[in-house]
Amino acid sequence: MLANRAVQTSMRRLAARQPGLMALGSQGKFAPPAIVALSQRRPVATERLSDSQAQNSILVNQRLKRPVAPHLSIYQPQITWYLSSAHRITGAILSGGFYIFGAAYLVAPLVGWHLESASLAAAVAAWPFAVKFAAKVFVSLPFTFHAYNGVRHLIWDTGSMMTNQKVIQSGWTVLGLTVASSLYLALM
Amino acid sequence: MASIIRPSLLAQLRAAPLSRRVFSTRSLPTIGSCSNPSRRPAIRSHGEPASLAARSSILPHSVGFHATPARPILPPLPQRIQGTTNEAQPIVEHSATEGGYHWAFERIIAVTLVPLTVAPFAAGSMHPVIDAALCATIIIHSHIGFDAMITDYLPKKRVPKTRKLFEWGLRAGTLVVAVGLYEFETNDVGLTEAISRIWHA
Repeated sequence: MLANRAVQTSMRRLAARQPGLMALGSQGKFAPPAIVALSQRRPVATERLSDSQAQNSILVNQRLKRPVAPHLSIYQPQITWYLSSAHRITGAILSGGFYIFGAAYLVAPLVGWHLESASLAAAVAAWPFAVKFAAKVFVSLPFTFHAYNGVRHLIWDTGSMMTNQKVIQSGWTVLGLTVASSLYLALM
Repeated sequence: MASIIRPSLLAQLRAAPLSRRVFSTRSLPTIGSCSNPSRRPAIRSHGEPASLAARSSILPHSVGFHATPARPILPPLPQRIQGTTNEAQPIVEHSATEGGYHWAFERIIAVTLVPLTVAPFAAGSMHPVIDAALCATIIIHSHIGFDAMITDYLPKKRVPKTRKLFEWGLRAGTLVVAVGLYEFETNDVGLTEAISRIWHA
């Protein structure tokens, strides 16, 4: 097989260089494509683009304009990812508030604020009951939700309650406990 | 453009009188297409090249077969091809602080927080050492949480400098809060006692 191939290649080269020798070429009837490919040489010049050049090219810019299939805007609302985002958001709110208080307490003497527990308690005592109740609900909702959902996460880390049904049930349980605990804490 | 995909459209273009309606996606009965109940009018893309309209004066403002709005959520990033197929896959560097130990530490802190948060309020009083432990655990838990958010939303390949800035900013913030809470514990009544007083004020 290799011998055949070698013969074939050398015959082609011979036909390309000296077509007069071959009966095919001298009659001028047709030129097989293999011979044409060898006899015609078309110089093609390529140029190298640097990375920044390639980025500004028309093709790259057109790629950026292509439409994107909708993803976040069409995902079906489900308790899985709603509660997952709520867990992160409530965690960020609680920790953010904690950090802000910690930093503010440190700079308070320099700025002239009074953030001791006594002054804070006195300030809150002056509020009407409705405002106090609303503020307590506003604080206890994220706290209780994050706590209960955190326990749900820890249960998952042991490997249990990971079927779809169990996840949905535990999710709704967490929501119910959150509302009940928040109301209890706010009314305490 | 579209005529390449739908030859019947091209035929209609030639046959029908040229008006805006011809180019609408609303009422073109093509072969084999069923009526779409949630049809939207063709939305003009802001990035549409003007050359198409400029070339022929018969075309009205260009319409396309766009089903998504021009401003997508999380648009595609500029595409970069790194390396060739002949290069080996880069080996990710190992870190003692990331990985399995980090995960276990995170869970231990979370588990510790459950009794530490409930106990003082249930018991009514609080020993200052346990109160300090609660403060420290909350700070560590918050730091790990914020770090997870930074890792998720600021990938190194996309925004390396912003990521570094936020990481170090978080560390500085945690340090500041730790010092502030130490001052609060020392000068004031303690975290649980303060929360209790404000809550029942």
